[in-house]
Amino acid sequence: MAPALSNFLRVIRAPLAAILLTLALGFLLVASITDEPVRAYRDLLLANFDSLGNFALFLNRATPLTLIALGVVFSFRAGVFNVGGEGQLYAGAVTTTVVAIAGASLPALVLMPLAIIAGFLAGAVVGWIPGVLKVRLAVDEVVTTLMLNIIILLITSWLANQVIRDTTAYGAVSWMVPNSIWLPPLPFVPRATSGFLVAAVLAVVSWIVLFRTQWGAEVRAAGTNLRFAEATGVPAARRVISAMVIAGGLAGLAGALYVLGVGHRFEQNFSPSYGLVGLTCALLARVHPIGSLATALFYAAMLNGAAYMQISTDVPRSLVNLLTGLLVLLMTARLRRAAQAA
Amino acid sequence: MPTSKRAPESVLMSDPDIILSLAGIAKSFGEKAALGHVDLDVRRGEVHVICGENGAGKSTLMNILAGIHQPNAGSIVLNGKTVTIADPIAASRLGIGMVHQHFTLVPSMTVAENLFLGRQPRRLGIFSDRRQMADRARELIARYNFHLDPEAPVRTLSVGQRQRVEILKALAFDADLLILDEPTAVLTPPEVDELIGVVDGLRARGRTILFITHKLREVKAVSDRVTVIRRGRSISTRNTADVTEADIGRDMVGREVFLVGRKGSAQRSFGAPVLTLDNVSMTNHSGRRLLERISLEVRAGEVLGIAGVDGNGQTELAEAIAGLMPVQAGKIRFGDRDLTDADLRERQQAGLGFVPEDRLDRGLSVTMSVAENVAATNYKRAGLLSGGLIDRHKLDSFAGDKIREFDVRGAQPSTQAGWLSGGNMQKLVIARELERDPSLLLICQPTRGLDIGASEFVHARILQAADRGRAVLLISSELSEIFALSDRIGVMYSGRMMRILDRAEADEETVGYLMNGGSKEAA
Amino acid sequence: MNLTSLLAAVLEQSTPILLAALAAMITLRANILNVAVEGMMLAAAFAAVAVGDWSGSAWPAFLSALVVAVVLSQLLALLTLRFFADFIVAGLGINLLAAGGTLFILERYYNSPGGLRPIAFPDIWHIPAGSLSWLPVLGPAFEGQSVIVLIALVAVPLTYVFLYKTPLGASLRAAGEDEHAARSAGIRIAAMKALSLAISGLLAGLAGAQLAMDKLHFFLPDMTSGRGFIGLAATLFGGGQPWMTAAASFLFGFFGALGDRLQVFAIPSQFVLMLPYVAAIIGLTFARWRILVRNRPARIRDNPQ
Repeated sequence: MAPALSNFLRVIRAPLAAILLTLALGFLLVASITDEPVRAYRDLLLANFDSLGNFALFLNRATPLTLIALGVVFSFRAGVFNVGGEGQLYAGAVTTTVVAIAGASLPALVLMPLAIIAGFLAGAVVGWIPGVLKVRLAVDEVVTTLMLNIIILLITSWLANQVIRDTTAYGAVSWMVPNSIWLPPLPFVPRATSGFLVAAVLAVVSWIVLFRTQWGAEVRAAGTNLRFAEATGVPAARRVISAMVIAGGLAGLAGALYVLGVGHRFEQNFSPSYGLVGLTCALLARVHPIGSLATALFYAAMLNGAAYMQISTDVPRSLVNLLTGLLVLLMTARLRRAAQAA
Repeated sequence: MPTSKRAPESVLMSDPDIILSLAGIAKSFGEKAALGHVDLDVRRGEVHVICGENGAGKSTLMNILAGIHQPNAGSIVLNGKTVTIADPIAASRLGIGMVHQHFTLVPSMTVAENLFLGRQPRRLGIFSDRRQMADRARELIARYNFHLDPEAPVRTLSVGQRQRVEILKALAFDADLLILDEPTAVLTPPEVDELIGVVDGLRARGRTILFITHKLREVKAVSDRVTVIRRGRSISTRNTADVTEADIGRDMVGREVFLVGRKGSAQRSFGAPVLTLDNVSMTNHSGRRLLERISLEVRAGEVLGIAGVDGNGQTELAEAIAGLMPVQAGKIRFGDRDLTDADLRERQQAGLGFVPEDRLDRGLSVTMSVAENVAATNYKRAGLLSGGLIDRHKLDSFAGDKIREFDVRGAQPSTQAGWLSGGNMQKLVIARELERDPSLLLICQPTRGLDIGASEFVHARILQAADRGRAVLLISSELSEIFALSDRIGVMYSGRMMRILDRAEADEETVGYLMNGGSKEAA
Repeated sequence: MNLTSLLAAVLEQSTPILLAALAAMITLRANILNVAVEGMMLAAAFAAVAVGDWSGSAWPAFLSALVVAVVLSQLLALLTLRFFADFIVAGLGINLLAAGGTLFILERYYNSPGGLRPIAFPDIWHIPAGSLSWLPVLGPAFEGQSVIVLIALVAVPLTYVFLYKTPLGASLRAAGEDEHAARSAGIRIAAMKALSLAISGLLAGLAGAQLAMDKLHFFLPDMTSGRGFIGLAATLFGGGQPWMTAAASFLFGFFGALGDRLQVFAIPSQFVLMLPYVAAIIGLTFARWRILVRNRPARIRDNPQ
């Protein structure tokens, strides 16, 4: 057991250092603003556990983050630098909403799975495009996913403003989805979505699929060296594309579960950069599915904690945006020497 | 401490004819000693060949002279002065020009721009003086009679032309001592002849040339003197005129070269054909033939060696047989089955084991573990799955078995494959491909970059497979390897199979002639 | 007159895109996909408004925009080149830092998370009305444009001359195209990349200053609204060549100007705004497809469909 533990510590050393460094910088900033820096930091990190209500909101926040991070894990393990989580998320959320509104007359037992599957598929299609373009034509996936993000956001903005807009509400939000297909709450935590359970189970499933099946080994082989995978008889291009379809699908599912479990409608501004934050969680977890669940929980705590901090002290909640920027900036940095041979 | 290139007054007790003198050079990387003890004297104006097997330390030695590595011990005396070569810039200031095996040219830039990259002449202090650049380039090209267009972008040039640009680049900064690191490895036979002409021309203009190679034929053709390096030590320095290729070869490996080969088909009997190629052709998009009507047959128990200079279609032949590149005409049969259109996995199931020519490119994933690399094609066959999932304990014990059986040093099942040495990586690939006991082993450049011990191990495994009645197709540009292992020898040139000879009728002269494109009739 | 006003609108819409595109282009030539242009623009726009508000004078505002963007670019250079952070991840980090940092300052020091709207704001120099009336159509289109529009137009030939006509530019391109070759020619790769990022910061700073100082004179947290990414798209669409990049920027600026007008015809503006991004994907795909067709061996049997 000891070597496994030391291996684990070695792996998490760098991301842990980035997190601690960021929190330390943030603490200095907070200390310069308020007389109660410790109180502010306690609220930032721990106020989520003060009440069952806070805890529910915390789990609701962690759900999309976990699913998007899992999507990033699939794509990165397949060697695709997918920064399109945001677009895939929005595609899933808006498609689920459209299907739910259009099919409102269907029985809930049919409509709910239909809406969820539609959300998954919408994200999957948005993941499939950069996957195919990369594998078949070597089009840079960073560019295509970035561009697709904006394209999808513009499409959803059109839908939310002109097509499915709730004309009685203020802002770009859709009509409510029928409450018969709302996700049930999590047992024992009244206001938390059971979507969290789905996300947690999928984290474990993702780990098994990627690290304990031949399919997963083939995806990772294709991700680390496509030509090696080909030479061992792996249909490498197909594996990369399927991984991207799953990656997009998971982000789409995040959107679907958000709409059915938390928002109950599509809101144009529902995501505080979940795509990028999910990417951050996955990278901090060293692109590991179970680790991603842990970092997503940590990040959800920070995002919600910032609001509690703002209420109890005079530290603006946008501190957390600033800290996110710092963390992302520092996250992949290494203190190693440039000594490696050319 | 800048050392001036020519410092006649400080020349003490040294022979003015010696431009470079190395004494007791040693270099190790970590625990591994790359160079143990090298002495070398290079005379002004000579072509001096450094000859040695792969892994003997030639490249390390040259990288020390080029300022890329620093020696752990020994002294370098250049033009009578002891020098330290701190980095490549210092080397070029000292008058040492290095022509690397991998070119250092920017493809989109012109010949002239490449010649003056990083040191362009200026106009008004900030602008490039393109006219002066072109004029100086033209003058250089004319002086060495190199037939290059200074305004041509490098990406439009042939490999041989690029190499001449590379040589000019070194000469443009008045290199007295020019180091050519395995310059013929990338050249076609006519280009090799041209290069030898170029080297002769440089010698006639008073340049000193260190020429690194492990090809015996070139030693005789190009050099005045030859120094052999074996296992990091200088073994001998002799006048080329006084030695035979066999003498040099003996020094290189430390014993008689050209191990007694296989007897050839006359003395042995083989089984039925395992692999048959029938008029296989492959074309690239612009219509150039990469493979031209190749027909061959490999029988059970037989090693068919394919000789040829790199780049004459061997890579395409291997990829066609493995099913990684489609062929446009002809048939590929495994036994009686037509597998022309099958993918690699089907061919594996039909009995193919495939060791690609470049282990870092197609052979391994350097970031995956040893266990996952060696299991990659064997999950089902070796019973590593239980209930559809990979069984970690079985995987580890399988990998452990392979590590022991193939003597993969320094490896645990969980070690990243990239940490292994080249020889151990190669053993890993071979262990993986032999696991299924393939009826056809397609093995390409099996000992490229391997030291002698690892090479012998690999050779033994290849012969073992043949002795067990497997068919082996061996593709190698090392003639000695082809001769040592093959029952029959096919020679490729320019995408064609020139001829397939029985081992008994194949001698070096005939094969060499065919490799250089000699006609079938004349051979 | 209608043509003139369209031209003026195109020029106005294109200028920040063009500057962002040149910013992305100069790093692309050093082999860096610079996704941080957006963030550098945003920070620059904020600096311009904040300093303009505080000092009441245009030039300090303008200069501080440039300084802030260059500082951010060098922070990115430090982390990626000295501490080996990933360029894409760290670049996205710069964007988040710029967005989070400006929002934080708005909330903390201006107590106005919605934006910063100074009551009075100094004017940057604009081409006086009527001064170019001797030039038909084009002249009036330029009247009233800010000095930054002119700088942007001059920046196109300047980057061209820098990249292709100076030794430094050649070294930068070599560092971007083939590190091995550049290093063996004694070129310091990291220095070249840092230089390209600095120039990129300067251009992104100009873009941010134009956004804040030309007409609007205020700052909104989302005021760059993806122009940095449109610029990146324009660069990729233009293949990293200065003239083609400029042409793509004007094309995209034209789409933008058209978008405002097309709303009259009931075409949703979102679909017009989408055009640059769609064009970038299609353009890149088409370019790759052509290379594939030209260079790869035939794949006759590979794709039976």
